[in-house]
Amino acid sequence: MHRILAVTALAVLMTGPAFAAGTCSTAPAAKFQPQATLETKLKAEGLTVRQIKVEKGCYEVYAVDKAGKKVNVAYNAETLEKLANAESGEN
Amino acid sequence: MQNLAKTDRDNSASLGVRQSPEMARVWDPIVRIFHWSLVLSFGVAWFTSHSSDDLHHWAGYFAAALVMMRLLWGFLGTPYARFSQFVRRPAIVGRYLLAITTGSEARYIGHNPAGGAMVLALMTAMTATALTGWMMTSDKYFGVPWVGRTHDLIAHSILLLVFVHVCGVVLASLRHRENLVKAMITGLKRVS
Repeated sequence: MHRILAVTALAVLMTGPAFAAGTCSTAPAAKFQPQATLETKLKAEGLTVRQIKVEKGCYEVYAVDKAGKKVNVAYNAETLEKLANAESGEN
Repeated sequence: MQNLAKTDRDNSASLGVRQSPEMARVWDPIVRIFHWSLVLSFGVAWFTSHSSDDLHHWAGYFAAALVMMRLLWGFLGTPYARFSQFVRRPAIVGRYLLAITTGSEARYIGHNPAGGAMVLALMTAMTATALTGWMMTSDKYFGVPWVGRTHDLIAHSILLLVFVHVCGVVLASLRHRENLVKAMITGLKRVS
């Protein structure tokens, strides 16, 4: 029992930062912000968007910055909150 | 063909390798290590495909390196490893496939014509998959839709090729009463 508690506590601690950095939306797709909104926002930030993939409740963005360097970020599809992990929707 | 087998056998015998007299060393260690390492790297790459895991990238680089090594070995290697020994004209491959349908296909000590064509097909597909995979990580092609789509498409076609390859191995093994999987492990095949 103690071991289970310890493992659970450890698991919660390990996933803690991921939660702190935001997660994908759990709402139905109808509640998602349009991809165009995100794209406009990213263009304003100086990014050239190459592809936006819907990964569960996230938008995974494939883009390049002004210097031509690749940028890979995920956004919560409902809130368009930027997430720390670009693969948030795949886990 | 017969001469090659005989030479191989004599070499093994002189090296003191214990084997039954009618067996010949057909697949050299490079060929066998290449084969099973490629199986492993494709397997790893397949099962890590839906993550941006470094493991997936390393499996791809490893597969590419293996294919490059095999390409060289196809020119410099032991007799049965050479492309000149097993790559045959499409017409001969076609005739061999046709002969399978009537159950009259000949047994080959090295790769049969269809097997030789499969080696080329798999090596080409592996190279194309590794190349497009690497492109996906570069600034120039990162996120470019056709690159990713091509990578996925060829990777899936490899799975299909592997399926056909395994079917061919099973069929040839049954037809000629030999274990070709074991031959790719031990390197030994019956001479006649």
